[in-house]
Amino acid sequence: MRTTPFYQDRVVTAFTACAMFWAVLGMLAGVYVAAELVWPTIDFGLPALSFGRLRTLHTTLVLFGFGVSALIATAFYSVQRTSHVRLFAPRLAWVLFYAWQLTIVLGGASIMAGWNGGKEYAELEWPFDLAIAVAWVSFGIVFFGTIARRKMESIYISNWFYGALIIVVAMLHIVNSLALPATLGKSYSLFAGAQDAVVQWWYGHNAVGFLLTGGFLGMLYYFLPKHAEQPIWSYRLSIVAFWAFVYTYIWAGPHHLHYHSIPEWVQSLGMVMSLILLAPSWATMVNGIMTVSAASQKLRTDPALKFIVLSLAFYGLATFEGPMLAIKSVNVFSHFTEWTIGHVHSGALGWNALITFGTFYFLVPRLAGTPLYSARLANIHFWLALAGVMLYVLAMWGAGVSQGVLWLSLDELGEVRFSFNDVMAAMKPYYLLRFVAGLVFLAGAVLMAFNLARTFAGRRTIKVAPPGTHVAAGGSI
Amino acid sequence: MAARFSMLDLGKVLFRPNAVFEALAVETPPVAQVFFRFALWLGLLPPVFAYIGTMNFGWRLGVEPVFLPQQTVLAISVAYFAALLFGFLSSAVIARWMAVTYDASQSLGRCFALMSIVGAPLAVGGVIHLYPHVFINVLVLVPALIWSMYLLYRGLPIVLRTGPNRGMLMASALIAYLLVAAVSLIGVTVALWGSGLGPRIGT
Repeated sequence: MRTTPFYQDRVVTAFTACAMFWAVLGMLAGVYVAAELVWPTIDFGLPALSFGRLRTLHTTLVLFGFGVSALIATAFYSVQRTSHVRLFAPRLAWVLFYAWQLTIVLGGASIMAGWNGGKEYAELEWPFDLAIAVAWVSFGIVFFGTIARRKMESIYISNWFYGALIIVVAMLHIVNSLALPATLGKSYSLFAGAQDAVVQWWYGHNAVGFLLTGGFLGMLYYFLPKHAEQPIWSYRLSIVAFWAFVYTYIWAGPHHLHYHSIPEWVQSLGMVMSLILLAPSWATMVNGIMTVSAASQKLRTDPALKFIVLSLAFYGLATFEGPMLAIKSVNVFSHFTEWTIGHVHSGALGWNALITFGTFYFLVPRLAGTPLYSARLANIHFWLALAGVMLYVLAMWGAGVSQGVLWLSLDELGEVRFSFNDVMAAMKPYYLLRFVAGLVFLAGAVLMAFNLARTFAGRRTIKVAPPGTHVAAGGSI
Repeated sequence: MAARFSMLDLGKVLFRPNAVFEALAVETPPVAQVFFRFALWLGLLPPVFAYIGTMNFGWRLGVEPVFLPQQTVLAISVAYFAALLFGFLSSAVIARWMAVTYDASQSLGRCFALMSIVGAPLAVGGVIHLYPHVFINVLVLVPALIWSMYLLYRGLPIVLRTGPNRGMLMASALIAYLLVAAVSLIGVTVALWGSGLGPRIGT
């Protein structure tokens, strides 16, 4: 293994396959909890199937199983090609693969068994937190080791985003997970009260920022130009947007805590920084749209590019909606309503999932050295994904606005007019619509998993050598 | 049908849009004509229906209806009309601005005509505002929205004379703007409610 001159792509294939597996399983868990909100008895009285546990399982599987596996796969694939060298420490990359997947499997099981650290999007207990920290450092060693050995003078923009993902998520994860273990399955945060909340949302929002936004922008910046066979519309804009993005995002967390018991100025600071964030976010969107606009002739033959084009539209929506919801006079209305859930999913389904789908439709045939099994299935998937995410977002907008009005309605005496139960009962039709939306989106993901599995069936990852290497390569990209 | 069209051609726009697209591909309609004979009246439909519906039935949010004073309903309806008008005009102008990038026709009249056709199913679907039950409105307006999106993707390459691939890209770029416009409408609405124009809520 150590002497092979080829790019280390087998580990990319492995991460890609697992990402697809977790996507289907994680979305299935999401659809199930959506169904539980309509028919609450389908947990059958089993604690493992209760909403609190399954919802946590859903977010853990889609974020860390699907999202992170996809990010590591694409980071390893692109960092080799933009550095013209094979992966540094390939064995460590394999250790990372097994460690990461094992953490998701055991972590998922621990959530269903009732272990929960109580921090949103960081629910896994301390043994898993330690494992994640070690795995993440391995990711960093492999990635930055490859960059250090690069044969290109400059570091391509996608690597800056992936690099920021690795560094910032390590920092967030370690600080937010600082805790005193009481038993194997229970620990207590080192922070207390309002400080704990501030640390939690510094972590929570920047996980959105550097993982779901920054990491996936790394994916966009490598795979979009590659796919469209066009250089980035403005490389300079991408660099400016990167630094503005990194500087601004880290401050935005307190907008999750508007009107809570944290200092007023911290809330206002979070709001202002969230508004400023629109500029670098949209700079990237414009860059992407302009890059793809020069490659229109490819759309006819290439379903994957459609996913990326649409993902940019939802990226535009989510990065606008976010700052808007951070405005205190909007947030007073939207906070705790389904609108927030709609916002998260316009980002997670519309942006993260769609760009990953587009990227995988591009990547898997290249890893397998064969065309996609069925372009028709991919086209059907495209329309299912669009219908699913639109229906989801519209259902949650309707539900969120209704909830906001009902919760804040006062009677003649100035008392709250509707009880929590009344409002929950009024949400039932929207929850049904959301369940259907989730089912449609999941059906698309299942089609894709089938399509990619058929594409790869009976094949091995082809061998590709870095430019300038004199070997008989099994294929070229 | 000639490129000049008015509210009398609404049926054609809704049910035989391809004929309208083909006609527009040949002839450029004057901006003022599209606006005053068609778009303006189309834009008036949802606020008028909403006014009548809210006065008669109140807002139905799944529990007991929320009734608002007539002054408030009138103010909200006028604001709704203004928002729709702004949405229509800005979409048309942005379509013309985007046309440079996608090598499409930069005629403002065509952009006006296209956006008014795209908006027609939603505006007519606004008839459901006569019964302002939010979920029923969502159920009716979602298919209307799908029809509108279909018209955008189908009509844009024909009316603005660009290839199907560039048309698809430009339509997607417009969808991004329209999504943002839609969420802005909700955001501005709740901010106005918070400041006192709307239902009596304690913020």
